[in-house]
Amino acid sequence: MNILILNGATESRNGAFHRKIKDALDRENGKRGLIVTAFDLDSMEIKPCRGCFACWVKHPGTCVIQDDEERILKAVVRSDVLVWLTPITFGGYSSVLKKAIDRIIPISLPFFIKSHGEIHHPPRYIGRKKLLAVGTLPRPDAGAEKIFRDLVGRNAVNLNSLKTGVVVLAEETGEAGIERAVREIFEQAEVE
Amino acid sequence: MMIARNAFLFVGSPKGLKSSSQALGDALASRLETGGMTVNKMVVGAALHSAVGQAKMHEAVEAADLIIFSFPLYVDQLPAPMIRAAELIAERRRSHPHAGPQKIMAIVQCGFPETRQNQSARDIMREFAREAGFGWAGALLMGMGGAVNGRPLEKAGGMLRNVVRALDIAAAALLRGEDVPGEAERLMGIPFIPKWMYRRIGDWGFRRQAKKHGVRDKLYERPYEGK
Repeated sequence: MNILILNGATESRNGAFHRKIKDALDRENGKRGLIVTAFDLDSMEIKPCRGCFACWVKHPGTCVIQDDEERILKAVVRSDVLVWLTPITFGGYSSVLKKAIDRIIPISLPFFIKSHGEIHHPPRYIGRKKLLAVGTLPRPDAGAEKIFRDLVGRNAVNLNSLKTGVVVLAEETGEAGIERAVREIFEQAEVE
Repeated sequence: MMIARNAFLFVGSPKGLKSSSQALGDALASRLETGGMTVNKMVVGAALHSAVGQAKMHEAVEAADLIIFSFPLYVDQLPAPMIRAAELIAERRRSHPHAGPQKIMAIVQCGFPETRQNQSARDIMREFAREAGFGWAGALLMGMGGAVNGRPLEKAGGMLRNVVRALDIAAAALLRGEDVPGEAERLMGIPFIPKWMYRRIGDWGFRRQAKKHGVRDKLYERPYEGK
């Protein structure tokens, strides 16, 4: 099973705490024998999506912008489990993570289908993925956490996720707490 | 009650001046200008492109009593450049707190028929306002954004009559120093056409564009399969 970790931390701001979470993810992945691909997005060259839809109607499935996002797209396609790791930013994702997520629309088709009672775009590739989201906050904040959980829920519908897990960690969380949260998220999404 | 005199329209679409977000934001801005408000305008691409652009963005934010963010929904929330701009604005306000009261409102539109798909984006904008020390003036959420298609609203025809009414009501309230009324929110969220029709028109439009670009038979290609 392939797992892809997209780390949306900014090295200078929350790099150290996110590294601890990545280490815990690595240990959990190791225990379960998962094949891991991880990207620290802050150090990659990823331009923002232009909203041109060329990936749908000009050269279906590929983005017109040639940069590091192509490596991410290939990894997304081969993954069975996606992990968003992000500092919670106004309840949502950091701009660093979101830049990469905005550019994954080539993996969907332009058409409209009904899914979960709403209209969405169908997937281009066969096979549903599991979605895990780990959000971090400087300190506990119930309001921001709720927005984050709702947003991950919306992404899960949008990506037609097979199973979804969400955890939120405050930066005061120690190693044992991080280990526990990571284990919990794998269990939530039944990642074996 | 705070009566705004200076507004800043910040358009968050990567398509900039040709976008539906620009058309909707501009329609609200022109109503505010008619009512005597001064409206400064900027698109997010110009703001983030250079240090000069960022400085202009901060200047415009500081000078405004009311800041209007108008943007499209990208993967269930704000497009990345809009988040980056919000991060920069919040960071700046931590080191340069603003003295007077300022409010934020948002116009969010998506290409799906359901207005509710914009709710996370609205919640994030409200949270941004809270964390960065702005007041919250409310939001106008719209589905079927494809119907605007970057055109000025008066050219989009009668189909958008509820949007026009929503903007009229919102502008009148903002000019009085009030928040976006519930009636404006309700009108903005009414679908223009039945969902099935929007779906059919959308699918047809994508096929037509693919045909124009000579890739109609390649629409379902999977270039990264097995790579």
